[in-house]
Amino acid sequence: MKRLITLAAVALLLSSCKGSTSLSDTLPDIYPDYIGVTVPAGIAPMDFNIPEEYDRVFVRVTGSNGGLLKTRGRWASFPVRKWHALTEQNAGGTLTFTVLGKKDGRWTQWQDFIMYVSSQPLDDYGVTYRKIAPGYTTYSRIGLYQRDLHSFHEEPIIESTLTPGQCMNCHTANATDPRQFLFHLRGKHGATMIQQDGRREWVTTKTDSTLGNMAYCYWHPEGRWLAGSINPVKQCFWAGDRQPIEVFDMASDLVIMDMNDHSLIVDPRLNTKDFLESSPSFTPDGKTLYYCKAKAYDVPRQVDSIRYDLMRVSFDPETGSLGDIETVIPASLHGQSISFPRPSYDGRWLMYNQADFGVFPIDHKEADLWLMDLKTGETRPIDEVNSPLSESFHNWSSDSRWFLFSSRRDDGLYVQTYIASIDEEGHCTKPFVLPQRNPRKFYHSVMYSYNAPDFTKSKVRFKTHGVYQEVFSDRRVQATVK
Amino acid sequence: MGKINRSAMTTLLGAAVFSFWMWAYPQALNYHEQNQLFLCIWEYFRERLALPGGFADWLSEFLVQFFFLRWSGALVLAILAVLLQLSVWKAARSINPEGNRSFYSLSFVPSLLMLVHMGNMEVLVSYPVALLLSVAVCPFFVKAGWHRLWLIPLFWWLLGPVVIVPVLFSAIAGRRTSDLLHLVYTALVFYAGYRLLASQYPAHDAFFGINYTRIREMLPVLQVVIPFVTLGCIFACGLGAKLKHPVTVDWAILVVLAIATAGSVRLAYDRDAYEVLAYDDLIRHERYQDVVKRAEHYQPHNPISACSVNFSLFMTGQLSSRLTDFYQCGTQGLVQPSIRDNVSDLTSAELLWMMGMPNITLQYYFDSMESIENGRLSGRFLSRMADCNIVNGWYGPAERYLDLLSHSLFYRKEAQRRKVMIRNEAAVNSDPVYAYVRSVRFKDDFITGYQGLDIMMAILYNQNKDNFMAAEYYTVWQRLKQREGAE
Repeated sequence: MKRLITLAAVALLLSSCKGSTSLSDTLPDIYPDYIGVTVPAGIAPMDFNIPEEYDRVFVRVTGSNGGLLKTRGRWASFPVRKWHALTEQNAGGTLTFTVLGKKDGRWTQWQDFIMYVSSQPLDDYGVTYRKIAPGYTTYSRIGLYQRDLHSFHEEPIIESTLTPGQCMNCHTANATDPRQFLFHLRGKHGATMIQQDGRREWVTTKTDSTLGNMAYCYWHPEGRWLAGSINPVKQCFWAGDRQPIEVFDMASDLVIMDMNDHSLIVDPRLNTKDFLESSPSFTPDGKTLYYCKAKAYDVPRQVDSIRYDLMRVSFDPETGSLGDIETVIPASLHGQSISFPRPSYDGRWLMYNQADFGVFPIDHKEADLWLMDLKTGETRPIDEVNSPLSESFHNWSSDSRWFLFSSRRDDGLYVQTYIASIDEEGHCTKPFVLPQRNPRKFYHSVMYSYNAPDFTKSKVRFKTHGVYQEVFSDRRVQATVK
Repeated sequence: MGKINRSAMTTLLGAAVFSFWMWAYPQALNYHEQNQLFLCIWEYFRERLALPGGFADWLSEFLVQFFFLRWSGALVLAILAVLLQLSVWKAARSINPEGNRSFYSLSFVPSLLMLVHMGNMEVLVSYPVALLLSVAVCPFFVKAGWHRLWLIPLFWWLLGPVVIVPVLFSAIAGRRTSDLLHLVYTALVFYAGYRLLASQYPAHDAFFGINYTRIREMLPVLQVVIPFVTLGCIFACGLGAKLKHPVTVDWAILVVLAIATAGSVRLAYDRDAYEVLAYDDLIRHERYQDVVKRAEHYQPHNPISACSVNFSLFMTGQLSSRLTDFYQCGTQGLVQPSIRDNVSDLTSAELLWMMGMPNITLQYYFDSMESIENGRLSGRFLSRMADCNIVNGWYGPAERYLDLLSHSLFYRKEAQRRKVMIRNEAAVNSDPVYAYVRSVRFKDDFITGYQGLDIMMAILYNQNKDNFMAAEYYTVWQRLKQREGAE
């Protein structure tokens, strides 16, 4: 009966149009490209636009397990509740989109396209990211934000208006759980803000034996330890039209901090002058630390010679001692460079970036995501999600069934967040960009990159009251070397 | 005082303010205009309105876009000054039944003080706009009674903390205990509004105004003083009714005020800083001969100005011959190393664009735009950034910038013309400017840096012998380097 009513409605719509409807034998050219993507049930509505020359769009969505949703307007916009109901009803099934566009008073109907609804839910509250203008050395507005994945609601965690003059970067929760949360401030009043169960402290790891404050951090699963790289970052610039900027570390060391007493483990093997150590991450059992290591060169002159290998070292969570170091992937031997190794939280996979050189893949068009099977040690590029442009920073959902990553595929400069799922065999689905209302208008007018994205299991609670005084008072918890 | 005298005084104020901005400090108009980009779209309005004082800010940016044309910018500021004076007078009359016998001249004080205040180039037009609107609503506030309970938070949100002017005005004019209670209520509104709606700002920003200055940490004394002086003037105007005085007294007060303003303006305006802005303004409008003339009369001693003068000398064919006639400070007076502010790099960016280094131009313009302390975009900078992206074939970002510019009043036409060239190589190559820059830019890719700029100039010249700019700059660079070494 419902289907009959729908058909009647469509027929009525079409009959009310002036002129006839032409049928196209191609798929609609929609923005963003949501054709064939796999989404979790309950995700925010996957609004999309058709080409700008069409002034009206009519869309009918039918579920393989039933359910129907229709919309019309300047772009395809779906009500949140109805969209949730439809996707939940069709979890494990498909949604078929019938799209009609109106141009010059005439309607065109394209071939139907399909969107898959995964049987795997994505229960995390949302995603966190830093918004920053993608450019060079100066930033006026930076902020850390959280976005509800099930709606379009975004709110700031902290914006640079509270910390003027300080660069804000890499925020890290413990395996998506924001009860342990940190971010790093660079600048005259730099520090690492660490918040645990609502109590925050501003920590400095600059000592006689360390280069400065920690930047890229990773929580130990038990929460007692925090691994971080200490790396003064610099930029240099290219003359030609390949890419504008190259970011590199002047030096880079790894330390591990005991959160019980803010003492630092400074292992001389991870704090070398001739090598750069970066991107630490613990495995979910907490007994192994992955990181990247490269021979240091004269920078910026030889910046394109720096290539990082994937390393691992055993770790004893009881004592904080490190065992033997092992080279996992000697990428530099093959003229490649690895960055951001991220083990899945179920311990099954390890995802990392691979580029021609360096440790900042975001600026490298050739940078791709790779996957390592931690059971077999086999690696492969994730062709299902890679594009001709840069793929970079990535993270796993709390159940490790979904992952997100940054990519410049849209216009080559502004970074967007993409989400894809992975099954037990390691097959990944076609990724989709974070949904937005009127996405073409949104993504083509926003002047920020969505940087360093991560899932967050629940909402990040961060009270901004008092932050300004805390930052500029320079009252810091001083880490000490063990 | 009769209507004719009042009209004459007000007209005189308008003419003086117009002349001041039109001829004395037009570069400030250019500076304000290039540090914002007003967009005629709902999202822009919504974004501005999301903060306390946002409506005044939006209205100010709407007005500042007209600074693109010197005469319309001067006219806008003259009208604002006149309206502020008339509002003060109207507020004074609302509490003084014998208005015609008041001190009309005292109603000019806030407008003249504002002129001095705006000598600080980081003071935004949103401040006079907010003050004007808050003075304009004073007479209504007295009569508003309990409606002030919702008017105070509303006006705080629309105009910012200058809402204190009508609140204090009604409290003093009303002379009732309940009026004084409104002061306590206003303090509560400020605090609650800050905690609930402006928590991403430090408390002092929320209490003294988020959008009154470009640099938020800055709190000029006059920003705090002017609202209270304005209130004082409103009430002082009425004293004239009690102290019977001839018209000449009003004229005499006005003359004294004018002299005091002129003296204060000279003190408040930093000449060297304004010379830098003046050169930038002239170079933006390709008036290179005027830069040279200006430098002949007064030479500021800083690298930014030296860079502008040298560039203008080159553009007028005098760089090699007249180099030593002007202040020099080594190679950085020829091309500036990147400096993190919103004005220092602009001339260098322009000359490097013409020389064939679009990537450095892009970097300089991007960093200049990101150095605008209140996080605003710049129509001028975005426009050149779009050019650099087009030349490099990076059409995605170029399209984004041109789309934004298409929503502005003064950049729309040019943006639409260039948008047609996006992903159309033939069109780009047939555009004279783009084709030229493409012909002279680097053919190979390598890491660049300020230290190797002279080598890069040599590479550009060796690549294309028509690039005489690279050759001349290289030669002068070596001369200045030798001179530096000798010193």
